[in-house]
Amino acid sequence: MIIDKIIAVIKKDAITALRYRNGFVISSLSQIAQLATFYYLARAVGPQFRPEGMPYFLFLLIGTGFYTFLLAGTHNFLKTIQESQQTGTLEVLLTTATPAAVLVSLGALSAFGEDLLQLAVYISAGVFLFAPALHMSVIACLLAFVFSILSAFAVGLFAAGLQISIHKGSAVLWVLGSGAWLMSGTLFPVEALPKPVQMVAYVIPFTHSLTAMRLGMLGGSLAAVARELGILAVFALILVPTGIMFFSWMVRQARQNGTLSFY
Amino acid sequence: MNTVVFESVHKVFRQRGFFFLQKSEAETHAVKGISLTVSAGEVLGLLGPNGSGKSTTLKLISTMLLPDRGEVRVQGLDTRGHGQEVRRRVGFAVASERSFFPRLTVRENLEFFAALENVRRREVSDRVESVLSWVSLINVAGKQVMKLSSGMYQRLGIARAMIKEPAILLLDEPSRSLDAAAADELWSLIQELSVRGTTVFLATHNFEEATAVCDRVALLKQGELIALEKAENFAAQELRDFYLEITADSVSDKFRMGVPA
Repeated sequence: MIIDKIIAVIKKDAITALRYRNGFVISSLSQIAQLATFYYLARAVGPQFRPEGMPYFLFLLIGTGFYTFLLAGTHNFLKTIQESQQTGTLEVLLTTATPAAVLVSLGALSAFGEDLLQLAVYISAGVFLFAPALHMSVIACLLAFVFSILSAFAVGLFAAGLQISIHKGSAVLWVLGSGAWLMSGTLFPVEALPKPVQMVAYVIPFTHSLTAMRLGMLGGSLAAVARELGILAVFALILVPTGIMFFSWMVRQARQNGTLSFY
Repeated sequence: MNTVVFESVHKVFRQRGFFFLQKSEAETHAVKGISLTVSAGEVLGLLGPNGSGKSTTLKLISTMLLPDRGEVRVQGLDTRGHGQEVRRRVGFAVASERSFFPRLTVRENLEFFAALENVRRREVSDRVESVLSWVSLINVAGKQVMKLSSGMYQRLGIARAMIKEPAILLLDEPSRSLDAAAADELWSLIQELSVRGTTVFLATHNFEEATAVCDRVALLKQGELIALEKAENFAAQELRDFYLEITADSVSDKFRMGVPA
């Protein structure tokens, strides 16, 4: 039954995207512009700067590419709620036989597909340009990917819950996203930050996602990434059930207060 | 068998103040202590002017809203504790244009909602064709929803609610924006549903519609249930007097002569 629902949601989003073709073209162009920015930024910084032992361009590609993917994944939950509030489909969707948390997850999952395509472009660029420097552990990268997605899923449910409750989930996510972008090691190593800020950085799951992915791509073994993978697994174990409970509780509160259709 | 039971149900909407900036709380008591019981296959009309609590009553059955006090039970299930099970049994015909995906066709919209309503993939196509024929929209099945007329939206809303073959169907002013012929057609559809055993709640402010289609009519005023009678009793002239409420500082002789004693 869940497979039928996944297919239905993906089909609906694919048809809608195809019938709004312009948006797809614009997002592809912006991705090319972003890649060019990283390339010239790395050139301007020079080859002597090798954070965590890798060329800066590769550091940026993994950091920003993977971070953008995770943040977009988080944002997809919010977007699913926001769009259905704006278009007026939220109330109807929430009277169907599909639980609210499943509905929002399916919507986000469908958008994940598009983001995955973007991530594939970044990774392909990295592999194409730096193939000799890479000693990739596929299992480590896959595990880092799965645990990171679970954390992003949970944070997304928190954001979607806030959107249902205070209708300002995007503002909250923007503040958190900017903070995490600064602290999680997307543009420079976490060690460059002051000590107290570093401590905050280590309680952000995305910091460990980026470290695990970089180690997985360069370290060459599962053992080298084990510590980061362990931390990510703990984050996922705590955050996923908490996120589901928080979102379900927020929907219930909205049903109680009569604010389900408010925007 | 009782399909829907309301027991002293209250619903209050509060506009909360923002911390110290706004201390008072504005309250709207939308439903005040309603108690009623509706049987399987019955068509119950909720009749009343705007703001009488008709839509709130429907939303309480659909679980879009939860009661503040009292209990709403659908086929024995309390809406508070069994929301998901209740939603499987209730179809809410929402006809607003904004409740559909505008770029998807009529058929694509229904296929999408069928999947969310747990209709098996191999049954979706037949089910969609069947409800589209039933509401006479089969000819526009391939048309994008944004190109439909208001009357078509009404029928599509009903088709969407019926896709899961619910035990209870909720209709909120379904004949609004329909011409007389289309309204007649809709009333026949509702009666057909009742024969099939579907319980129908029909919210309307149209007296003729309520008395023509429904088995019983609940008259609501400012959130209170002020009468619950068989439709034929409502058709009697004296009950129409509920609607006659005139307030005036002075009345001319000419007007007084025109009003029956």
